[in-house]
Amino acid sequence: MAAALARQTRDVAIIVMGNSIALYDPPIRVAEEFAMLDCISGGRLVAGFPVGTAMDTAYCYGANPALLRDKYYEAEELIIKAWTEDEVFSFDGKYTQLRYVNLWPRPLQDPHPPVWVPGGGSIETWEWTVEKGYLYAYLSYSGFKRGKKVMDGFWNVARAHEVDNPYHAGFLQLVAVGDSEQEVAEKFGPHAEYFFNKMLHTYPGYTDAPGYRTVESIRAGLLAQTTGFGREDDAPLTWNDIIERGNVVAGTPRQVTEQLEQVIKDLHVGHLMILNQFGSIPHDLAMENIKKMATQVAPNLRHMWSEYEDHWWPQGAIVRQPAAASASGD
Amino acid sequence: MQQNRVSVRSGKFEIEVMEGGVGEPLLFLHGIGGLEWDGALERLSATYRVIAPRTPGYGASTGTENLQDVQDLIYFYLDFLDQQNLYRLPIIGHSLGGMIAAELAAVQPDRFTKLVLISPLGLWDPDHPVLDFFVASPSELARAMYFDQDSSPARAIASSPQQRTIEVDPDSEEGRAIIDYFVERAKSMATVAKYLWPIPNKGLNKRLHRVSMPTLLVWGERDGICPTPYGDDFKAAIADSRLRIVPEAAHMVAEEQPERVAALITDFLANG
Repeated sequence: MAAALARQTRDVAIIVMGNSIALYDPPIRVAEEFAMLDCISGGRLVAGFPVGTAMDTAYCYGANPALLRDKYYEAEELIIKAWTEDEVFSFDGKYTQLRYVNLWPRPLQDPHPPVWVPGGGSIETWEWTVEKGYLYAYLSYSGFKRGKKVMDGFWNVARAHEVDNPYHAGFLQLVAVGDSEQEVAEKFGPHAEYFFNKMLHTYPGYTDAPGYRTVESIRAGLLAQTTGFGREDDAPLTWNDIIERGNVVAGTPRQVTEQLEQVIKDLHVGHLMILNQFGSIPHDLAMENIKKMATQVAPNLRHMWSEYEDHWWPQGAIVRQPAAASASGD
Repeated sequence: MQQNRVSVRSGKFEIEVMEGGVGEPLLFLHGIGGLEWDGALERLSATYRVIAPRTPGYGASTGTENLQDVQDLIYFYLDFLDQQNLYRLPIIGHSLGGMIAAELAAVQPDRFTKLVLISPLGLWDPDHPVLDFFVASPSELARAMYFDQDSSPARAIASSPQQRTIEVDPDSEEGRAIIDYFVERAKSMATVAKYLWPIPNKGLNKRLHRVSMPTLLVWGERDGICPTPYGDDFKAAIADSRLRIVPEAAHMVAEEQPERVAALITDFLANG
């Protein structure tokens, strides 16, 4: 899909979020594919390195959850070395052995495409992304209220390393924009309810796999008493619950702009990822939502964090300018 | 019974070992659920010096990060046996421990005088798949492990963990105990995954023919983890073997029927 987008688009960043690098044997296949995409797109690629969920890695692909994280770290080391090393080298890892590593093509961006790491709130990922200087993106459907807790955790770790640049972090939020609250509730409510009550249901046995999370994360999770999604034995969520819980930010362009500005400040995030299509939203409504978001909300948020430099944006991609002051508002 | 700590491979592993009784040494390797000094071990310790190490990753036994797969675990146990100066002794293993015992017996058949496998894992039959205990619900697990659903261990297994953590204040003493219990369970299951994920067949079927010592196979009639047809598979693969099915017992056969199982083992070790 990224290859198709590389030719369909001219200047936008292409963020592949991403390749579960621990699942590839050998992982240099990811280094090659991402490098090729970077060349085709003219240096517009963001390389996403997810650890992968318990469900896709351990259950669908049979990867050993007890070794997954260790394998992931080794794969990252190999990929970065393959991108940056000028000479042919050998790699004698625990999971991958290669007598000759001689990558082709090389990525266009120097030294390599920015690396974004999607996380679900594992505390060990915070420490690691800060140490490596990779963008940490909290990707979940839970929204800004739970997101605040997770991002506070990330920033506690980051600030201990004297890292404070909001562009170091990303956050995903579901958003519904319309001309009135009433209209938004009518148009998006049933789709959101379907999404949260039906599509996000997971049999509890599959949500985790043995060894997938470290003991520290499990202990922290038990202490926080986080139950995640779905209130298993309770009544299904209504649109009002979904708004109340912060799962979806909804309203008129002005209301959404104000709320998102607050979210961006509260969570201290420089990269806000907006999900305008969720659940059973049909194509036309999704397009309408995306268009309103892009023309009446996003331009009024671009002025934020201008005092910081974004080191996590691909070198070949356009940086959009904030809207002129007079153009703001609904 | 006393509990000792043993250092293996210059401190890379610090292993808890339960030891009890006097007489000839006898090695016992515990199952997935962990090591308990149950009624069967207590009875065996009347005639043997029972040595029961706790596998790295369980309880306070350290060093699981040095182990990646079954092969690593076999070499760890060979080091443990060398270090404890244990040669020419009988070996008993239950469940995961049965799989390890069978592997050890295949690698060094001369080291072990007799082999007892109690509901061992290690083989795979698609017609009778081993229960996916990694994803089974608490009540499914209880049914697979215990014949008597009203027994206290069966009820403890069947109680939903989520419910228990929600009902109790995590800062209270009880809350901390529950959290410690789940952390220990998560830790030991992460260890188990190295040896049994995603299917508990890591090639034992290619080595089992090397098991040449007299072997006793003990199975709970209602074993829902690895059902009794696996008993026939082990019996077919090991030349000098006999299978004993114990009624009113499931996977935790020695815990449920300690007298019968201890008697079967004592008789086999004494008379063959």
